[in-house]
Amino acid sequence: MKESVGLGKNSQLGLTTLLTFAILALAWFVGFASRLFAIVRFESIIHEFDPWFNYRATHHMVQNGFYNFLNWFDERAWYPLGRIVGGTVYPGLMVTSGLIHWILDGLNFHVHIREICVFLAPTFSGLTAIATYFLTKELWSPGAGLFAACFIAITPGYTSRSVAGSYDNEGIAIFALQFTYFLWVKSLKTGSVTWAALCALSYFYMVSAWGGYVFIINLIPLHALALIIMGRYSSRLFVSYTTFYCLATILSMQIPFVGFQPVRTSEHMPAFGIFGLLQIVAAMHYARTRITRQQFLTLFVGGLTVVGGLAVVVYFALVWGGYVAPFSGRFYSLWDTGYAKIHIPIIASVSEHQPTTWVSFFFDLHITAAVFPVGLWYCIKKVNDERVFIILYAVSAVYFAGVMVRLMLTLTPAVCVLSGIAFSYTYEKYLKDDEKVPGSTGSTKSGEPRTYDKPGKSKPSSSESDDQVSVNVKTFVSVLLLIFLLMFVVHATYVTSNAYSHPSVVLQTASGNGDRLIMDDFREAYHWLRENTADEARVMSWWDYGYQIAGMANRTTLVDNNTWNNSHIALVGKAMSSNESAAYEIMRALDVDYILVIFGGVIGYSGDDINKFLWMVRIAQGEHPKDIREENYFTESGEYSVGAQASEIMLNCLMYKMSYYRFAETRVGYNQPAGFDRTRGYVIGKKDVTLDYIEEAYTTENWLVRIYKLKDLPNRPQIKPADLTVPFRGKRVAKGKNKKGILLQNESVKGKKAEAV
Amino acid sequence: MDRWKTYVRQQPRNYSMVVMFTALSPNVNCPICRPAYDEFLIVANSHRYTSSDSDRKAVYFALVDYEDSPQIFQQMNLNTAPILYHFGAKLGAKKKPQQMDFQRQGFDADAIARFIADQTEVHIRVLRPPNYTAPVVIVLLLGLVLGLLYMKRNSLDFLFNRSSWGFLCLGITFIFMSGQMWNHIRGPPFLMTNPNTRETSFIHGSTQYQLVAETYLVAILYGLITFGFILINEAADGSHDKKKKSALFAPNATALAIAGLAIVVVVFSFLLSIFRSKYRGYPYSFLFS
Repeated sequence: MKESVGLGKNSQLGLTTLLTFAILALAWFVGFASRLFAIVRFESIIHEFDPWFNYRATHHMVQNGFYNFLNWFDERAWYPLGRIVGGTVYPGLMVTSGLIHWILDGLNFHVHIREICVFLAPTFSGLTAIATYFLTKELWSPGAGLFAACFIAITPGYTSRSVAGSYDNEGIAIFALQFTYFLWVKSLKTGSVTWAALCALSYFYMVSAWGGYVFIINLIPLHALALIIMGRYSSRLFVSYTTFYCLATILSMQIPFVGFQPVRTSEHMPAFGIFGLLQIVAAMHYARTRITRQQFLTLFVGGLTVVGGLAVVVYFALVWGGYVAPFSGRFYSLWDTGYAKIHIPIIASVSEHQPTTWVSFFFDLHITAAVFPVGLWYCIKKVNDERVFIILYAVSAVYFAGVMVRLMLTLTPAVCVLSGIAFSYTYEKYLKDDEKVPGSTGSTKSGEPRTYDKPGKSKPSSSESDDQVSVNVKTFVSVLLLIFLLMFVVHATYVTSNAYSHPSVVLQTASGNGDRLIMDDFREAYHWLRENTADEARVMSWWDYGYQIAGMANRTTLVDNNTWNNSHIALVGKAMSSNESAAYEIMRALDVDYILVIFGGVIGYSGDDINKFLWMVRIAQGEHPKDIREENYFTESGEYSVGAQASEIMLNCLMYKMSYYRFAETRVGYNQPAGFDRTRGYVIGKKDVTLDYIEEAYTTENWLVRIYKLKDLPNRPQIKPADLTVPFRGKRVAKGKNKKGILLQNESVKGKKAEAV
Repeated sequence: MDRWKTYVRQQPRNYSMVVMFTALSPNVNCPICRPAYDEFLIVANSHRYTSSDSDRKAVYFALVDYEDSPQIFQQMNLNTAPILYHFGAKLGAKKKPQQMDFQRQGFDADAIARFIADQTEVHIRVLRPPNYTAPVVIVLLLGLVLGLLYMKRNSLDFLFNRSSWGFLCLGITFIFMSGQMWNHIRGPPFLMTNPNTRETSFIHGSTQYQLVAETYLVAILYGLITFGFILINEAADGSHDKKKKSALFAPNATALAIAGLAIVVVVFSFLLSIFRSKYRGYPYSFLFS
């Protein structure tokens, strides 16, 4: 598929270059093209949830300029708190697409910023392939680099985060990651300040793009430490690491969101510790030749112990004194796997933070998952300074990928590099002509692919065939491995097309006779909100939909996918899981105008709010244990159900009522009973749902999104002129519902008075 | 019996009683009584040492053993153990007390403390006597390793042996790629037996779930593929330097390559077929369907 083939020795260099360019260009093109499934099937649209925020932020930046973007205070999110967007966002993504937009504008290509956002990730996948080529070339050989570049262009583990429309940080961050690694390896090999400075610059871009930069700033020190322990210290390491660390730390502090974290959090302390250690080791090497052995031992063995002990003491003192923040909860959850579930339910509730099954490993990596250990094995067997790096990278990344599905993304580049090495190593032997073998063993110049496909070469002397693989078998092996590679291509295309190309804003189903049905309920509902509600209307929904409401409907939301304030989310969760009157009080306090729920019972959409409801209860319980109890929402036998056995509290909570209001009046199928929920697969527990405090405002075609309007407070009891003669007593007590209204209103009147005073 | 009447069932009281009914004596077969009792004891002790004075006077803990006073069991109409009851301060002599549901909430100390907090508003901070086993084991192991290193200080070659490091790294890779971390967090059963057909299955039929046996199988398959692939390469390498070939292990390089290839092809096809059986609708297969 991708083996480089040279035809003659004279033109070999030119041909190799040409082939390299051609293959990389093809990899770019294939990577780009295979990510366009979603565009072809649906339209050029931003996907999922987070991309909507990124798009909105980019749009804001393009409209108002970069400095206004950095100072942007978004009053339309987290009502009534607001959010300082400029200071809580990694701006790399927005700046990148803004820059492209600006350049295209300068060239008189007027493209809407949305198109740039949609196509940014596929474009960057090509750059990632090139960066991977360079990294692997430094680690092994150009041939392996080409393999690795082709792998990463199509591997599903990376495609999953970079299809067209998935406008998210990871799309550009993997490129920055690979490029930083390449520059680091390059600077380590050359010991040059220039490469190290470039590496720091690339790291700066990575910091501006993704929170995963912490992985780099811990992996590179780990590499340095491993080299020191293995006795591979060299002045090249000293120069590149010290240059990199100083510049990288200063540069990363320029990102507003990162700020002083590089000097004040524990995640960054190992890098600093290695920096110090490296100075000591350098001094040791310098002194070794100049003093006697005895002096040397006392000086450094004693000195090292003292300094090491002191460093630990100082570190803990700083942590205790509050100058350095201890490790964050997200960090703990990587090591202590039970941590998040107990302490941070909001992290545990996200599906991409779940541990990884072997199926998803295989699904995302296919043949490369099985082959990359081979590359790892040969890297260990033929270890050198820079191969230590890829070994550490692969082993640590495979651990992280096992803990969290999401971190599969960091493993994928390592897998591609190593399986590229494995395949290239094999093909180098099996495509080579046998006669060449005895002569060229010495010339292990890894710079040239030494493969020839001239069929006319003479056969090897068959007397030696005892310790050489016969030609036929060689061909056979090559062909079979080629079949595996083809299977990988087919698998990658299948996975990209079927699993990773759904915008999740637009749903697609197949009707009975195989036609494609497109359900556009989300956009229908958001459009309704945009057109029919007041501009400053506040919409309450579960946090998953916050970014979409802000991005598509342009309305104020209470909570969104930037889950920075747990108690605010818990308040929304409490409102959703309380009964109507209690929820009404909370919603009045939060100035809610509309409530939006996602309901999949009519079409059988499983990601709806009823299925997420337990997390709302759990998060609410974390903050309000007095009012919300998880066990109250279970049936007698301890199951989660909205069917006939569901508990009374469950059947009266706001979420149930809003989801199933008037649901029993419709029939989902010809022979289904009324109130049959397709997602859950049974008849709901309570069919006559009545609403007192809210009213239905809009329900989309397939009932996927339901919007409710909060009713105003009931008026004071009106006294008609005819009734004026009626004695006053008893009237206020009689109307139960109004009584509450009066009380509330009195309170609010009191509040106003207090304000006036 | 007297104390039972005086402290628990008499009115008026200004305190709540949390009573565990259990059967600790060895001639009653109750395997979970002992751990439940231990947890109960942890809560009671934490309450005793950490709660404020007023709290301490509001809640008392008591234990009823079947051995000592079966009549109380009869009186309460109990025939199972262990059971945790909460007798509120206002609870009359004949009323049924609040029972803690061990089935749903479990019986560890935190759950008991939560139950008490729910019932009485007294929050008990559970202080577990620290478990020294894990640190001790780690220290012992570390000591053992260091001791071994010290004993073998003259021949530390194995530390520089690339094969052993290679095996270590590959081992880690296979462990995590076969989803052992998932097993560790979710704790799935080893095998699954279908209650209807009595068929034992090693492989769970869904992509979201996996059985322990199946992950071991997958780890072995990955290992075999890697082994086969290395074999292919070693076969070709063997022709380069004849010194490496020992007398014992000198099969034909061609045979070696074919063997490696066969392993890779067959095992990978097998892996693919397992994957297919889990991922419904996956269209591609190789050798096996």
